[in-house]
This record gives sequence, C-alpha cells and structure tokens, in this order.
Amino acid sequence: MSRKKAVRASLLTLAAALVILEVTAWIVARPKPAAVAEESDPKALAKMKAETEAVAKKIGALAPKSAFIVIDSARNTLTMKTKTKEIMKAVVSCGSGSILEEPGGKRTWIFDTPRGEFLVKSKIVDPTWVKPDWAFIEEGKEIPKNRQDRFETGVLGDYALGFGDGFFIHGTLYSRLLGRSVTHGCVRVGDKDLKAVFQAASVGTKIYIF
Amino acid sequence: MCSRPAAAGWVFPVLAAILAFVSAVPARGGDREPYLENRLAKEELALAKTPALYFVVRLNSKKISLKSRGMDLAEWSIESLHAWGEPPPLGVLTLEKKSKLPERTKIQPASSDEEAATFELDALELKDMPSKFTLFLSGGIRVYVRPKAKGFFPRLGSFGHFLAWNFWVPLKNLALKLRNKPFTAIVIRLPSAEDGQAVFWAFPDGIKGLVFPL
Repeated sequence: MSRKKAVRASLLTLAAALVILEVTAWIVARPKPAAVAEESDPKALAKMKAETEAVAKKIGALAPKSAFIVIDSARNTLTMKTKTKEIMKAVVSCGSGSILEEPGGKRTWIFDTPRGEFLVKSKIVDPTWVKPDWAFIEEGKEIPKNRQDRFETGVLGDYALGFGDGFFIHGTLYSRLLGRSVTHGCVRVGDKDLKAVFQAASVGTKIYIF
Repeated sequence: MCSRPAAAGWVFPVLAAILAFVSAVPARGGDREPYLENRLAKEELALAKTPALYFVVRLNSKKISLKSRGMDLAEWSIESLHAWGEPPPLGVLTLEKKSKLPERTKIQPASSDEEAATFELDALELKDMPSKFTLFLSGGIRVYVRPKAKGFFPRLGSFGHFLAWNFWVPLKNLALKLRNKPFTAIVIRLPSAEDGQAVFWAFPDGIKGLVFPL
C-alpha cells in the first residue's frame, strides 16, 4: 500500500472511531423516561386520581381567601387581586440592587426588595421616615446619636404599609421614576394608587413579591 | 473483498442510519400521567406549605411557573426543549447557582451636600439581566435557557450552540457516566430575550422547585 493510501486509511479509521464514539455518546445520553410505577388496576388508578384531586384541593386552600398584593420587582408593577379577579394595577419602583459599603468596611447593604410571602403588618397615615444608618452613610453624613435627628417628614407620601424589617409600601416625591428600580428596597407607589392600595389593604393582607 | 478505506467509508452511512433511528424513537414510556400528576401534587403541596417562592417546570406542557402557595405568580411558555441524560428526579430540586451574574453598582458615599443632592440613576434592572444562561440545579442537572434566535448573529450563535449541544454534551454525558456521576442537561428555548431575562430575575439562587415530565 502506498504511503498516501495508508494516511487516507488511517484518517478514515480515526474518523470512523470518532463517529462510533459520538454515536455511543448519543445512545448513552438519550433522555430516558422517569422510572415510575405504572398502575394498570383500574380501582387503584381511580384511587390515585382521587388522591391527586384531594391534594390539589389542599394546595388550592393555601391561597389567600381575601384580596392580596402581588409585586413584580422586575417589571415594577403592583397588582391588588383576589383569587378570581384583578382589583387594581399600579406602576411602582422597587429596589435598585445597588451595594453600599460603610467606610471602613464594617457593614454592607444590598438594596434589593425582599422576595417571598409577606403580610401587611402596619398601616400608617402621614408616615415619618426614621432614617436608617445607611441613609446617613450614603449622604456622607455622620450617624446621629439622637433618635430625633433621624426623623424626616413628607418624604414617604400620605400613607405607608409596613411589611416587616423596615420595608414599606409608601409614596414618593419622585413620581417620574416610577417604573424604574431606584429604591433602597421599599416599594414606592404614586399618590393615587397608594391611596387605593391603602384603602383596599388591611393589616394581615398577604403580599407576594418576586 | 473491500479495501480498508472502502470499509471505513461504508461505516458512515450505517452509523448515520443508526443515529437517525435512535433520534427518531421517542424516549417516552406508556401512560404514566396519573402517577406523575399524583407525585407532582404531593411534592408541590410540600413546597406550597412554606412561605418561600418555588418553580414548576412542566416539560411536556412546555410551561415554567413561578409559584407561591399554589398560585401562579408568573408563567412563561417554552418555545422548544431538548434533553440529554438521566431524567430529572421526581422530587424537590434546588437552584445551586446561575452561570452569569450581572454586576451590581457600588454606591460611593457623597463627599459633600451638593453631591448628596444630585441623583444618578444607576440601577440593576430587568434589561441588565442575561437572556442566555445556565441554571445549575441540585443532582447535576443543568438547564440551558436561551431565547429564540432572531437575526443573523443570534442565529450564528444558535448554530454554535446546536453543534455544542449535539456533539459536545453527549460526550460530556458519556465521560460523566463512566465516572458514575449524574448528568442531566435540558435546553429550554424561550420565545423572546425578555422572557429569558424575566426567568433569570425570578429565579434567585437557592429557590426550590420541580421539573416534571408532564
């Protein structure tokens, strides 16, 4: 056999080996169906279906019975709804996702709106903002020792709904920024919508944030 | 008698035929739906009893849902999906990590009152999220999320992914199988880039959920 033919044969053999390897990999990697017990007895099957329905009912019963609030922090929307209908929808502002480090690196804050299930814990008319430490650090100011020096009125709008850990659904002076992710974790709502949410919600109303 | 090159040449069409046959046979068994529905309901009940958000991916129905207390908070349709490897276990999975993380902005404390009064909008928003990423779930399950390719360059990238998916991923699966390591890969194509970004946003690290062949 000439050298040229030998090289050609070797290349083809190598290619064939690669194809065989690939085909083997394909066969091994083929998605397999999940190993489950198939029920062929009609009675057992009916029992299983009834059990599934009962479990589905139990899941359905976990949803709130009264109106609840859903906040989409990605699209900056707040929806007040019941299981069957939407009551109102508003454009809001949620957390900016920014990070603030205390000079000296002692503490770090991530300004995300928390996600999960919450409930309205407090309803406040004419709320006063008790400025937390991060607000002073962000402004490059010293953290006051006197609590009274933390109070700021008129910045949270006419109403606030507290849902724990210092987070509120409240009003805003920056209505032009509604729809953008700009807050320190609270949910800012425009004046009109805030009033409607405040009136429709009560202490205990569920809030779902994602 | 055939010469060696001729024999090697004969191998390709045969293997191609095997390949075509293998890929054409559906990887599904009989009617397992009642059992799967029952199992899904039981697993979901356990998740729905907690206050945490959870996800449910229904592979055959091509739906991804973000849920809480059994309610759909958001839902996305899957344009198409393909899988390699072992089926995902019929139980609760945890999102261990995501392949890409958008960079967060660091706020610099203001150095003067004037600087404190100025406002710069520098937020991490939906548009900053990746639309192509991988979700690494517990049990060695990888879910590749990609938007439907539109335009020349995305299609070119999509072709690259096609090659990697059909040649590299099976080899990787084989290598892991030989080392007795579990491997499941699912590629999910969503209708738009925005859907991918929304899924990325909605799935924080640590979220639990279910992936079911239903």
